Amino acid sequence: MTLLQRTIVWLDERIDLSDVRHFVAEKGVPVHAQKVWYYLGGMTLFLFAVQVCSGILLLLYYRPSAAEAYESVQFIVTRVEFGWLVRNIHSWSANLLIALAFAHFFSVFLLKSYRKPRELTWVSGILLLFLMLGFGFSGYLLPWNELSFFATKVGTGIAGAVPFAGKFLLRVLRGGDDVTGATLSRFYGLHVAILPAITTALVALHLLLVQRQGMSVPIAVEERIKQGERVPQMPFFPNYVLRDVLAWYVALALLAALALFYPWELGQKADPFAAVPAGIRPEWYFLAMFHTLKLLPSHIAGFEGEQVGVLAFGAAAAFLVFVPFLDRRALQGRKSPAFTIVGVLGLLYLVVFTIIGHYAK
Amino acid sequence: MLLLLLALAAAPEANNCVTCHTTQQDQRLARPAVLFSETDVHRERGFACIDCHGGDPTTPDKAKAHDPARLFKGKPVGQAVVTTCARCHSDAGLMRTYAPRQRVDQATEYAASVHGKQLAAGDQRVATCVSCHGAHGVRLVSDAKSPVFPTSVATTCASCHADAKHMEGYKLADGSTLPTSQLADYRKSVHFAAMTRNNDLSAPTCNDCHGNHGAAPPGVGAIANVCGTCHAVFAQKFELSVHSQIFDKGCVECHGNHAVLKPSDEMLSATGHGICVPCHNGDDKNDSGAKAAVGMRGDIEGLKTRLDQARSLIAGVKNSGIEVSDDELALREAATKLTLARTEVHTFEPARVTEVIADATKIVGGIDQAGQRGVAELKYRRRGLALSLGAILLVVVGLALKVRQIDQQHR
Repeated sequence: MTLLQRTIVWLDERIDLSDVRHFVAEKGVPVHAQKVWYYLGGMTLFLFAVQVCSGILLLLYYRPSAAEAYESVQFIVTRVEFGWLVRNIHSWSANLLIALAFAHFFSVFLLKSYRKPRELTWVSGILLLFLMLGFGFSGYLLPWNELSFFATKVGTGIAGAVPFAGKFLLRVLRGGDDVTGATLSRFYGLHVAILPAITTALVALHLLLVQRQGMSVPIAVEERIKQGERVPQMPFFPNYVLRDVLAWYVALALLAALALFYPWELGQKADPFAAVPAGIRPEWYFLAMFHTLKLLPSHIAGFEGEQVGVLAFGAAAAFLVFVPFLDRRALQGRKSPAFTIVGVLGLLYLVVFTIIGHYAK
Repeated sequence: MLLLLLALAAAPEANNCVTCHTTQQDQRLARPAVLFSETDVHRERGFACIDCHGGDPTTPDKAKAHDPARLFKGKPVGQAVVTTCARCHSDAGLMRTYAPRQRVDQATEYAASVHGKQLAAGDQRVATCVSCHGAHGVRLVSDAKSPVFPTSVATTCASCHADAKHMEGYKLADGSTLPTSQLADYRKSVHFAAMTRNNDLSAPTCNDCHGNHGAAPPGVGAIANVCGTCHAVFAQKFELSVHSQIFDKGCVECHGNHAVLKPSDEMLSATGHGICVPCHNGDDKNDSGAKAAVGMRGDIEGLKTRLDQARSLIAGVKNSGIEVSDDELALREAATKLTLARTEVHTFEPARVTEVIADATKIVGGIDQAGQRGVAELKYRRRGLALSLGAILLVVVGLALKVRQIDQQHR
């Protein structure tokens, strides 16, 4: 008997693992043409775990103050053994994680996997996507370099355009009227305590719901099932789990390749009194929003253009949260082309505006 | 009744001068009273019209107020201005009461100035105290709105010196006409740029070289001393040079006086637009001065190129996460040597420049070596990552094969 088997027996005698054994033995994953999209969630979860581990390692040396933040990151990448690797992985993994979270989001949206009974899984997932963006936004400032400082100034400035509550929001985010050491302290608290706490709870809920409800199948496949066709299943363990692990390794390989060919740079220390360097723009995942706001006229129907833009993005976020309850056709198990068109247009908008925003001066 | 008496007793002394003059239609009469009432350092310290003009401010009767018997002096002009101001400003005891740190030798200095001497000779067009400070609405020199605040001095001097009509008839010591282009020239200078663009109030303006109350052009032999007040090291080096014996106008020979342009290494040349051209011929192989200029310039340009390359190497390595703080310090040291070499140019001895450049080159060599070690470390890291990537890809292939195997077993 191997050590693993002996450990399982030992645990079984004490906490009765028969339910778990039964669940693992019985659980199946539907096999169909769209099953490749199932792995995106697992890859995102894997990168989140990478972020947690590398983040904890960085936390050992990072100092969240305007006077020491840049120097501490510099210390990590130059003096700490393999610190450069940890920081490189944390930075690249963050970007890859958000990219995969978006891919997961669009796949779920276009396959209408949010329909009954998975509304709560969708809501928890979409909130997790927003949280990932929050992680990206708050973490970007932490190295306290020139680019991150001015990009945060622009980003928090956008929050200031929120109608009525803008000024209050701006002060809450910045801890004052301007981006200072107080902003850094807030973003640090947000990045390492508040967001992780909420994210952990939501990830747990999301996973629990996925395991309870099993994998969703596309509407077309569901229609075939209703007509009595039998959709083949693959055992969750080991067939699906091994595929999931394979996908994780692909993500890891991608991460290693990015760190190998494009080491994450340190930049120049932020100087609040320096002139804003040319070409300041936020991280790529905020570029579409940023560029849209830039293109808006100063006034739209008597309101400030930026305010209208921020309101529109707020409305879009609310729409995404409530999609399962708005898409009545999907709720009834019928195809809903209108929502497919909305999803495709949304994807096109993000891709095109991100590219234009990247090259815009 | 008692309250009324108390109120009258507490009321300030009546100043009918201001009351009457502010209502005058003739602005020449009204404007001084208005200015004096608005912001005036003298009024704010308790002085009134009577202190300079005499007369009786307590009476509303014009004839009585302007009665010479009541010491009315009217508007002081020429020497009377200096005498009026000096009554207080040359009185150390009185000035201690109001401005203890202020000098009290302005009148003495003025008497020694070109303005003072001209005035003594009967020229009434020259500047007196009020020409620069104003007569009414006088502000402290430290007040940014004062006409003698550092940023305004040049314009104030130019109000006469840039006026060709006003300056007509004035000659330089050599008999030539006094130019009126000083302000235009100064505005092209590095000093003006420092003052106005960099807000450096310590940058020189007219009075820093010419003096203020004792304003006079620096004598030919004094130019190096004037420039050396700020550029001490350059003045010392120049003092050692052969040119200090030859140049009549010291620093001005190469750098100009009012239009002192930002110095550049390109100036050090005996060809084209080089500043050595008026005296040296770069095409003449026997011109030792031209050869010296070429040698010093070559040394400096060589070091600049090597420094740029080293900076770029170290910046790239640093940005990739290699520790380079010692090398950055060394870079700063090498840059300081470059500045030192430029200073040594003023001795016009190529050997001294070469010596400094050699020191700097040695430092840059060390930086290059450290940079190359950094590049090697980066390559090592990349190799490690490439190996890891290979290992990960092997696991991916292994897992894919395993998945295929168990799928076949499942079927």
